[in-house]
Amino acid sequence: MTEPVLDVRNLQLSFGALKATDGVSLTLRPGEIHALIGPNGAGKSTLIGLIAGTLTPDAGQVFLSGRDVTGTDVVARARAGLARSFQVSAVAGELTVLQNVVLAVQGARGQSFRFFRPALGQADLCEAAEAHIARVGLSDRRAVQAGDLAHGERRRLELAMALALCPRAFVLDEPMAGMGPDGAREMTALLDDLRHEAPILLVEHDMDAVFALADRVSVLVSGRVIASGTVAEIRADAEVQRAYLGEEMLE
Amino acid sequence: MGREGVLNWVVALALLAVPLAAHALDEPFIVTLATKVAILALAGVGLNIALGLGGMVSLGHAAFFGIGGYAMAVLAAPVQAYEPLMTWPVELPGTKSMPVIWLAATLAGGLAALAIGALSLRTSGVYFIMITLAFGQMLYYFAISWPAYGGEDGISIYVRNGFPGLNTLDPIQFCALAYGVLMAALLFSRMLARSCFGLALSGARQNPARSAALGIRPYSVKLTAFVISGAITGLAGALFADLNRFVSPAMLSWQTSGEIMVFVILGGVARLFGPVAGAALFILLEHLLGGVSDYWKLFLGLALLGIVLFARGGLIGTLAGREVAHD
Amino acid sequence: MSVMLLIEQALNGLQYGVMLFLMAAGLTLVFGVMGLINLAHGSLFMVGAFACAAVAGATGSFWLGLAASLAAAAAAGALVELTVIRRLYARDHLDQVLATFALILVFSEGTRWLFGSFPLYLDIPDALAGPVTLPGGIDYPLYRLVLIGIGLAIAGALFWLIGRTRLGIRIRAGEADREMIAALGVDISKLYTIVFALGAALAGLAGALVGALQSVQVGMGEPVLILAFVVIVIGGIGSIKGALVGAILVGLTDTLGRFLLPILFSTFMETSAATSVGAALASMLIYILMAGVLVVRPGGLYGRA
Repeated sequence: MTEPVLDVRNLQLSFGALKATDGVSLTLRPGEIHALIGPNGAGKSTLIGLIAGTLTPDAGQVFLSGRDVTGTDVVARARAGLARSFQVSAVAGELTVLQNVVLAVQGARGQSFRFFRPALGQADLCEAAEAHIARVGLSDRRAVQAGDLAHGERRRLELAMALALCPRAFVLDEPMAGMGPDGAREMTALLDDLRHEAPILLVEHDMDAVFALADRVSVLVSGRVIASGTVAEIRADAEVQRAYLGEEMLE
Repeated sequence: MGREGVLNWVVALALLAVPLAAHALDEPFIVTLATKVAILALAGVGLNIALGLGGMVSLGHAAFFGIGGYAMAVLAAPVQAYEPLMTWPVELPGTKSMPVIWLAATLAGGLAALAIGALSLRTSGVYFIMITLAFGQMLYYFAISWPAYGGEDGISIYVRNGFPGLNTLDPIQFCALAYGVLMAALLFSRMLARSCFGLALSGARQNPARSAALGIRPYSVKLTAFVISGAITGLAGALFADLNRFVSPAMLSWQTSGEIMVFVILGGVARLFGPVAGAALFILLEHLLGGVSDYWKLFLGLALLGIVLFARGGLIGTLAGREVAHD
Repeated sequence: MSVMLLIEQALNGLQYGVMLFLMAAGLTLVFGVMGLINLAHGSLFMVGAFACAAVAGATGSFWLGLAASLAAAAAAGALVELTVIRRLYARDHLDQVLATFALILVFSEGTRWLFGSFPLYLDIPDALAGPVTLPGGIDYPLYRLVLIGIGLAIAGALFWLIGRTRLGIRIRAGEADREMIAALGVDISKLYTIVFALGAALAGLAGALVGALQSVQVGMGEPVLILAFVVIVIGGIGSIKGALVGAILVGLTDTLGRFLLPILFSTFMETSAATSVGAALASMLIYILMAGVLVVRPGGLYGRA
């Protein structure tokens, strides 16, 4: 079996008496979409923070392409190819779509300390950015300020920025959130396309999307992974049904 | 060219035309006022890089302004006392040459900004405001209690420093020099705003967490901007000291910090020519209201209150409307 | 250097510290509850000092002056809150800075207009004039000792107010969650006015008490304001306990630094140079203390971060 791109081993983090992450291990293999599901308060956001590097674990390790990145910060992990999208669309609202993606391209290339030439006058930066914008289907919106975009468009801009990092792994925090059925369908197709770029760790509430996309599913409850397996295995898992899926499956 | 572009040209040309007309009419006082506007605007251009582009509300820019002023005094005072600047480890004379003094003031302002910024940027928001204000006050008290350069009384430099090929004692020539430096700083500021660095700074201001996730360290980007900002304000300090031929701790006081900030906000935060319009308006008000009442700052205060509460966006913002995206 | 002198200086530092606490407490409450940075807090200090000096001068009673300082500063605070400050809560810090900077100009120039540019003098009341002999035989000014007592008593009263009373519960709730407290049916704008006036009264009281030790003049408030900021940065924003610890730390560091550093330097330098180097360094000492706290704990000693 190929070496996992992202390898999380026995991560632990407590806030006071609360064990927000309680010995979580999971892997992300090349080409796959690994969905992480769980009820609200299960510790998904904390886990993403630990993987992305905004939080420091009490114990455990994070490996990216075989390298231990546990002691490094967000910036270093982004440079190492970990592309993260945010739960609340977090793009710079006063910048245009193109400027946002150029920012991501120059961030990935370490070109942010160039003081002289206009950013938008540099063909190589702009061409790369345009390509990512085209990939998510926002080309005709590229001169619009990100703050003026519709919700779904902003989520796609998030993905364009993640793509610009030439990532080894995507960590996407609820990309479907707040989308209508059409938007969710488009986003599902887009994510299915993106997995060829890099494997995706997908945190998502939308079960249709998860079951349509995921190669593997892990279920997080109270900071622990209670089950992990294929979609079929997870659907069949009694513990999962009891802890989490039960109510939704019955609906 | 948009409305703001037209407005910028109007402001730039007015600041050129007024002293030229005053010179032709033999009104050297007005030439000196225009020089003062150009120099104070330059200090504002420096602050605007931190405040407007970087979102860093610094209430301590008087520190850099004053350090620039004292850099001038430190270099020029030995010359008028017929002493060397230092004797150990090497003997070094002082200088009356503006280019050398400017370089020293720029470096000194930048270095001070590096030290203050490195500490202040460990925090953000309201802490940042209080800390920059406090460090500014530290240098103010230091200048008062350090006797070498006149302490509380400050120090006079009797003859204005020289610039190759110009007679700086002639008000109009010194004014042209200040104007030239201001325009150069504005061009630099415009270039910076459009560069990759400017984009990174804008990202770090609007969304530091997102910037970090793109591999851009907001702390480094902001600190770099703060250093550039302090360097430009330091240069303005050297010119201001040369304008008055006098340096005192007042240049380092919190009032000076507040006034530089007022220039920027009066004119319009993050607007290229905001500090120029703001400084011009401030000096104009000072002389119009100052002629009417000894308590003109009372009216200035009321006017500022009115602007903050009811007319946001400053002069340029009010006249030019919402900023359109570049390019 | 005698131990007596050192103890006297330490008491001076403590007195300075508790007065700083009165300033810092109001600032930190206003920031903690309303999220507002108020540069005009120093003006309220000045208002208190002028009210006390004017009333004491007219009536001959320091105590009437003190009451006037509380009333004038609280009234000025409430007035400013109602007319200007409450429009700023929803604004960003930059607008708050500019508006309260404008308020400083209005207060300072208004006061100059009313009272002229010359300083006023406020005498220590006869009952508190002169020294007392402390255990150990140290002669120490009674008035300064009373200031320490008043400051500590007010600190105790504030802890009781915040920790034990209905108003305190509302203040703490307001710090935690503004929407929740509104949902609980508390009249939030009234609460804000009360908190602001309370902070103003403390600043005014400090101004009046300190005014008897120095001259009462326009611009006396801002240096104290900036020191109070240093206190808050050291103590941690929004924390009354942090304000008290920070204030005493700043008071002691500043006073003892000015006393000890020249002596320290004179052990290896000639006296005149030691005095000037020592004095220059002492003037920067509290800011160096602040820088040290920032390096170790950017959120302050009792900060949440």
